[in-house]
Amino acid sequence: MTVPSGPASAEVPAVRCRSLGVSFGTVQALHDISLDLAAGRIHALVGQNGAGKTTLAKVLGGLQAPDNGTVCIAGNQIPPGDVRAAKSAGLAMVHQHFSLPPSFTVAEALELTAARPESHSVYRRTELYRRWQNEVAEVGGTNVLATRIRDLPVETRQSLEIVRALVSEARILLLDEPTALLTPAATDTLFERLRGLRDDGVTILIVLHKLREVAAVADTVSVLRDGKLVLGPSEISGVSQGQLSDAIVGPAPDTDRAIAVEAATDVEQQLLLELVRVSSRESAFEPGLASIDLTVEAREIVGIAGVEGNGQRSLVSVIAGLSAVTEGSVLLGGEEVTRAPPARRRLRGLRLVPFDRNSEGISRSAPLWLNQSALRLIGRRRQFPLISLRQYKRQASEAMDLWRVRYNTVAQPAESLSGGNVQRLVLSRELASGLEVLVAAQPTRGLDFSATNFVRSSLRGLRDAGAGVLLVSSDLDELFELSDRLLVMYGGSIVARFNAPYDRQAVGDAMTGALR
Amino acid sequence: MEQVLATTLRSAAPLVLVAMAGVFAFRAGIFHLGLEGLMISGAFTTVAIGDATGSVGLGILAAIGVCMTLSAVYWWVIGPLGANVIIAGLGLTSIGLGGTAFALGAIFDIRGSMFTDVVLPRPVRGATSGPGVIISEHSILVWITPLIVLVAWIVLRRSRFGLRLAAVGEYPFAARSAGVNPSIVRLQALLISGALCALGGAELSVGTLRNFTENMTNGRGFIAFVAVIFGAWHPIGAALAGLFFGFADAIGIQSQINITERVPREFVLMIPFVLTIFAVWLGGLWRRRTLEAEAGYAELREPDY
Repeated sequence: MTVPSGPASAEVPAVRCRSLGVSFGTVQALHDISLDLAAGRIHALVGQNGAGKTTLAKVLGGLQAPDNGTVCIAGNQIPPGDVRAAKSAGLAMVHQHFSLPPSFTVAEALELTAARPESHSVYRRTELYRRWQNEVAEVGGTNVLATRIRDLPVETRQSLEIVRALVSEARILLLDEPTALLTPAATDTLFERLRGLRDDGVTILIVLHKLREVAAVADTVSVLRDGKLVLGPSEISGVSQGQLSDAIVGPAPDTDRAIAVEAATDVEQQLLLELVRVSSRESAFEPGLASIDLTVEAREIVGIAGVEGNGQRSLVSVIAGLSAVTEGSVLLGGEEVTRAPPARRRLRGLRLVPFDRNSEGISRSAPLWLNQSALRLIGRRRQFPLISLRQYKRQASEAMDLWRVRYNTVAQPAESLSGGNVQRLVLSRELASGLEVLVAAQPTRGLDFSATNFVRSSLRGLRDAGAGVLLVSSDLDELFELSDRLLVMYGGSIVARFNAPYDRQAVGDAMTGALR
Repeated sequence: MEQVLATTLRSAAPLVLVAMAGVFAFRAGIFHLGLEGLMISGAFTTVAIGDATGSVGLGILAAIGVCMTLSAVYWWVIGPLGANVIIAGLGLTSIGLGGTAFALGAIFDIRGSMFTDVVLPRPVRGATSGPGVIISEHSILVWITPLIVLVAWIVLRRSRFGLRLAAVGEYPFAARSAGVNPSIVRLQALLISGALCALGGAELSVGTLRNFTENMTNGRGFIAFVAVIFGAWHPIGAALAGLFFGFADAIGIQSQINITERVPREFVLMIPFVLTIFAVWLGGLWRRRTLEAEAGYAELREPDY
């Protein structure tokens, strides 16, 4: 283990852990982790999905008791799994998913997490608003205080999580994949904020997926692989991107070839998906569609760029048949499906990788085999009404093995899988035979980079096999790399169309509505 | 009309008190189906101890003690022992209904009803006609019920304890990361809930009446639970729902007196329950929006193996 050089090493490390081990059933999530994090710096923790990053963060934050080993925060040893002790030693976690109760107003949520409640146990609302108005000044001003958490946009929630941590007077922040849900611009703002906090003496441990983000924000980097610390903490200047990615992936690289997808190779129709002047109603978070024209042909990937919240969700749910069209028509393979239910669209070869895989892509409590077989169970008519469970389970396990889903048994609930594995499960279901056109919404969001590469090459494989792909993403690099054509959405309309090679500035201008 | 309003207040008071108990439990995330059992235990203990000591105050204190003890046991079964909340709640109700009937026979050698001389004080008495009837002849518990609702509102909606309670119920993970122990908060909520059930039971047995009868709660614990749901687990909402159910009950009682000549008695007895079902349906329609919002919220914990 490398002890960071410089003046910090002389001081007590902000976080010190020794021989941490955690296992869940038969899975060893963390294995003999010893780590010192110097105070007043930004430390990045990277690794593949399922490498143990979140588990390590939870152990350090006292939310998960380790099986063995010790954790010291700012020199104080923390009893295993004691959140209060970790908090009073000055450590606060910013969770991967949001940790504020959705029905609370912002002021109530901050009051809940405050380190030292005021002496009175009863409060008045105006008193709360007065108390927290300075803290929320940066995240949208005072009028955000009376808003319920669930009504806030995702970036504001993210910033609030940090405000929440600082309100509890934290000197050490643990951020678990804070960028997973953010747009690139919001990520930059976040990093700016973190650098500011570091300069004020706050120690930050941040779990990240993208090496570009590591390079942008971190002072030191550590790599976890299969529950072991394989690199670091090392000064970021001392390691190359190549060394990092080798450490992440491991010596015997798990070469994730793309799966040869059995898409219909002889697609008769050239025009697979067509939207003609489609409009829809606005939803709680997004404008509706305003007269959208769009086509996806065989053997092409059409990218949809746009700042989040400009109608992308409406577009996907209109195509999937999940929300109503007010005007215009949707055609799949030349057949009008404007009013057709989702099951009929799926029979016409439409497949969907939804925005939020955990709430829309799977049933978290259902077993893996049922999640995997869902398409075989619905939408078919004139079939023998009884099914063979054994056959379904066997087919499910074959498909999941093919897609390298890491699981113990097909009977385990889908929620027991890590994020990347959930996405593989979704792909193994959606990219099965019969696919003609795929709508992929943020298919690589929150995935580590080998899983990201895997998904991207699968999409390319699909296209080469003759399918059409509509790719909605907030990652411009991904869109530029994959798309044959690129459309930009802004305020519910398609405002610009681009062909490769793409001009980043022009696309950016169209996304932000900038006029030059 | 005055008579109907007076009966409404009397019928509603125990419902509202037990509904407050239900709100405390519900906000802590407990689907409390043991309210009925706690309520009847409270009714029985008040009569038994009140009669033995001759003091209604001692009877109520004993009832509060018994109901809080039962609540602590309930907490232990659903918390540390990990039993199913619904099953354990129904079990608590069975124990309350069966246990009080058994104790009535075993201790007092009485089957059916036990009469007593102790009764709660009635601050305003004597009106026989006019608007005075509305407020006359109510026990002290009916008078302080609005006060209890107000206190419940302050505790749940305007206190730091209430915030912790709501966080535990809605999102235990949030509570834990704020350094709150959800299990302890649930215990506190259940103890408060037990005390309120005891008061509801006491009002039933020595408020209006002066007896304890086997199964005298007659489903009121469950109706109070319905009031919690119908009132969107807000103390004021649940209190209004309780008041409404009390009104339905009063209509039933009054029409039973007035129109039994023309309408079958069973039909009249059905009225409060039909109204309850209707109200729950309405409440469900109104609540659907919130539930959808919750369902769209991605679950917090994504295990990282």
